[in-house]
Amino acid sequence: MNKNLKWTPFMMLYWREVRRFSRVAVQTLLAPAVNTTLYLLIFGVSIGRAIKMEEGITYLGFLIPGLIMMGCLNNAFSNASSSVAGSKSAGELEDYKSSPLSSQQIIWALSAGGVSRGLLVSVVTMVVGELFYLNQHGEFLPINNVFLLFYFLLVGGFAFGMMGLSAAIWARSFDHLSAVGNFVLLPLIYLGGVFYSIDNLPGFWQKVSLANPLLYLINGVRYAILGVSDVSLGVSVLVTLIMLLVFLSISVWSLARGSFHRW
Amino acid sequence: MTQLDKALEVKGLTKKYGDFYAVNNMSFHVEPGEIFGLLGPNGAGKTTIISNIVTLETPTEGDVLVFGHNVQEEPRKAKSLTGIVPQEIVNHGFFNLEEVLIFHSGYYGLSNNRDRIDFLIDRLGLKEHRHKKVKQLSGGMKRRLLIAKALVHSPKLLLLDEPTAGVDIELRESLWKFVQELRSDGVSVLLTTHYLEEAEELCDRVGIIHHGELRKIGPTNSLVKEFTQRNVSLKLKTAAKVESQFLIEQLQENLRFRIPSEMGLGELLHSAHLSLDDIDDMQIVEGNLEEAFLRVLGESKA
Repeated sequence: MNKNLKWTPFMMLYWREVRRFSRVAVQTLLAPAVNTTLYLLIFGVSIGRAIKMEEGITYLGFLIPGLIMMGCLNNAFSNASSSVAGSKSAGELEDYKSSPLSSQQIIWALSAGGVSRGLLVSVVTMVVGELFYLNQHGEFLPINNVFLLFYFLLVGGFAFGMMGLSAAIWARSFDHLSAVGNFVLLPLIYLGGVFYSIDNLPGFWQKVSLANPLLYLINGVRYAILGVSDVSLGVSVLVTLIMLLVFLSISVWSLARGSFHRW
Repeated sequence: MTQLDKALEVKGLTKKYGDFYAVNNMSFHVEPGEIFGLLGPNGAGKTTIISNIVTLETPTEGDVLVFGHNVQEEPRKAKSLTGIVPQEIVNHGFFNLEEVLIFHSGYYGLSNNRDRIDFLIDRLGLKEHRHKKVKQLSGGMKRRLLIAKALVHSPKLLLLDEPTAGVDIELRESLWKFVQELRSDGVSVLLTTHYLEEAEELCDRVGIIHHGELRKIGPTNSLVKEFTQRNVSLKLKTAAKVESQFLIEQLQENLRFRIPSEMGLGELLHSAHLSLDDIDDMQIVEGNLEEAFLRVLGESKA
């Protein structure tokens, strides 16, 4: 019997998260793949033909990085939040609190679970996107910088996993939680430049968009793949890192003050 | 953890929700190797006390120590030594019974706990269910799983929050036997219940609580003695007029007496001017914990 309070509780909770989403792979992996295919078909291929882009970039190529980041963020958020919400309704969340699991272990294990699902969805999105790109342009879309791609996916995934965890800790019902997704997360993602460049917006809305932290994540991934972006790379790296620290602090505060009790 | 440490010490614990005192200045302790019962009607504060021990709640005032470790200051040390069986059933939608026990071991830092898990599955009669999803189990089986979960890390202190609520007689008796076995292995137990028969059967000492306050605490049999009386029924060989301050009913040759629990039968016969030769038949009903409990609650209301 090996006892290790430093790593084992974290590893076991992380493993539980991975098992949880892989049990329902149709919902967690197949559904996002279908979504991506629809977006690429409708926006990337049919409407995209009519959209004029900068020299050397097609709208399909512009869209793929945005969809990769969107899939990662959405799934990291919903994995962590639905895990906590499900555990609350089952009474299982109280087990976390009454066992020696520390807050940091809970935060990192649950958000790492979210990141794992987010990365898998990103890979699925990437594969589907590349197939569309090959079909439309006769070649694969090259990746400019793999390291940066991982950086933005990991930072964004962890931040959104932590955000999902915090939202579910404070939520009083499943409805409450889906309201956060619909009224906060979805607008931020859509207005973060997944489907368009903020250069196309009027001056005022460009400034408003710059306050949306998701813009930097999405443009970071776009830079990592295409080598072009609406905002500078340095600013994106810095803003996203600050965002991660902010969400980490929010989740530490949420676990200290929020409720582990069952619904 | 030293030889002198109590298994559990609750010192001046108060938990307020707004203006409502769920627990008010409560102090008691559990000795190592002891089964201690917290008795009280629904809403007396039993679960709130348990929640404060495992840090699900934070005390408004006061301290809780598990084997000398303050649960607020050294939560991981204290919680490593504690196992909890919650009052309500916990569901684990996605996982089977064995997986739940593996995960739960992990939360307590145990990565390879196969032997202990096998032992508990076997001992609690869960062998044929080990690969079933938790939601497929019956209520009784889910409760056994809760107990297995609480014991995966061989805790030194076991908290049982109304473990037999809604449980059939067979399972209840096997649980009692198991708890006694655990005690003989040196596990200290805090049991909350409102089944007084259960407390009387199991507990070395009990505390009676009401409206968040401790009303009475002591060894189970001395509480029963202090707060109950003996009922003695006599059938005389021939009807006769009997005079005694303890007589409560007489129907011809049938007499009923209520005497203090420390009073012997000889003393009763002597005071009623009766001898064994006058008696055709007799029955003595001793007081029980339920009677003591009701009297303690009754006195505290007055």
